[in-house]
Amino acid sequence: MAYIEWKGVDKAFGGKPVLRKMSLAVNRGEVMFIIGTSGVGKSVTIKHLVGLLRIDAGEIWFDDRRIDQLSERELAPVRRRIGMVFQSSTLFDSMTLAENVALPLRKHKQLGHKASLAEARERLAQVYMQDYAERYPAELSDGMRKRAAIARTLALSPEVVLFDEPTTGLDPVSARRIDRLIRELADNLGVTAIVVSHDPPSIFGVADRIAFLYRGVVHVVATPAQLRASEDPIVQQFINGRSTGPMETPGF
Amino acid sequence: MSEERRDDAEAPEAERAFTSLPPAPRPRIPPVTTAKAPESTRRGLVASVGASTVQIAQEVGGIVVLTAQVLRALVPPRIDHRELLKNLYKMGNRSVPIVVLTAFFAGGLMTLQTGPFVKKFGATGLAGWGAGYAVLREIGPILISLMFSGRVGANNTAELATMTVTEQLDGLRALAIDPVRFLVVPRVIAMMVMLVALTVIGDLVALLGASVVGRIMLGIEWSSMYYSFADNLKPFDFLHGIYKSIAFGAAIAMSSCYFGVTVRGGAVGVGRAVNAAVVAAAVSIMLLDFFLTYLTG
Repeated sequence: MAYIEWKGVDKAFGGKPVLRKMSLAVNRGEVMFIIGTSGVGKSVTIKHLVGLLRIDAGEIWFDDRRIDQLSERELAPVRRRIGMVFQSSTLFDSMTLAENVALPLRKHKQLGHKASLAEARERLAQVYMQDYAERYPAELSDGMRKRAAIARTLALSPEVVLFDEPTTGLDPVSARRIDRLIRELADNLGVTAIVVSHDPPSIFGVADRIAFLYRGVVHVVATPAQLRASEDPIVQQFINGRSTGPMETPGF
Repeated sequence: MSEERRDDAEAPEAERAFTSLPPAPRPRIPPVTTAKAPESTRRGLVASVGASTVQIAQEVGGIVVLTAQVLRALVPPRIDHRELLKNLYKMGNRSVPIVVLTAFFAGGLMTLQTGPFVKKFGATGLAGWGAGYAVLREIGPILISLMFSGRVGANNTAELATMTVTEQLDGLRALAIDPVRFLVVPRVIAMMVMLVALTVIGDLVALLGASVVGRIMLGIEWSSMYYSFADNLKPFDFLHGIYKSIAFGAAIAMSSCYFGVTVRGGAVGVGRAVNAAVVAAAVSIMLLDFFLTYLTG
């Protein structure tokens, strides 16, 4: 059985289906990218995995355990193993970056205030943010906040890391550094990464496999090379970014 | 942007019923109708009274659920000490000046209002009793609670609501940190403790204000005022005000946290949440005051 698996997941918002019998399996240690147009349910898919959203029907399995029916309390151990980096960073703005990163350390690793801050600074250095440890999130740019948010998520050394558009809004250099970080997490630490992204250099540079979400289901799962070679007109339209084609893009 | 994009953004809010947080009331958005006005205005009235009733029931229910969660989070009492101290300082210490100012003049006002009658009947020995009784039992707790709700409760709602709409609460949950235990519990404790402390300070300052105004404006001797307090006021008068302030503190804390964590809809939602929290706190204070006074005399 796969390490992480969505089985026939349905999810609707206000009666409007977003996911329809969506299934996807992710293996341990791989970097899986989830791509697709805006609003297709990519973020929704990964939020289900940490219980921030609840599915309407179907099952979600993680490490041979069904997790979609767990209560908020029962989810706590799962959330310690699956870290999530949000699209909007979600740093706590009443705390400095160091305090932000120190918080999960203080709460879950029973570190004291000073020890947790010291470790937080090391974690910030991993994402080149050590010089900003004493700054507040509001004083920094989006890209810097995003990097600090990644440091905070990695503080608990999760086995799985969910990245929701980690390179969106970053300059190309920072973006490639984040790509490298994701690749290193998988290669050196065996971390499983699930990445929601729109960024072609990330997608084709980092992914082991790519799941293309379209009309509420996984349309294709393929390696980057297979996806490029795919003759599916919808896939071709998406990866080449053509404004016209067979793809349904609601709202346009 | 497509319609589905909006769904994506609304998703975390639509799901609140399943999370650790109590269900949020639906925002009062009138249905969009292209048709003519309703057939009878009477039906419209009934419908709107019904809708308001449902909404109030939802809000009261949500506050009860949140209160239950707070109580459950206290067993075992693993309170975040840093958050607690930060909130005690922010909510308590910084409220002292405004409480001292209002309490002084409120106390003085009591003497000012009763003074002319007291003098007319030559009963200056009762001036202290009149002012003290009113201050300790009613004016002190009520006035300080309302001030506290406006200053601290509103601030707290705005802060929690902003954290909620910017997904900071989801960020906490994703880090396996329970927002009720980490954010709500320290705030509730801080508000309840500090409102009692401020009421004690406020009572003393108000009595001082009553004496000062009596001395300066009505020529009542310090000693006369002091004996009037000492002879006529009982410890129970003071305690009566204190347990009211405990109840008011709980009402302010729970409504302010509830509207903060259940907010929907960006900046507009934050404004609406603060508004609702302050109104709910003021109404609860008045209702609680009436019933507590009725029940305990």
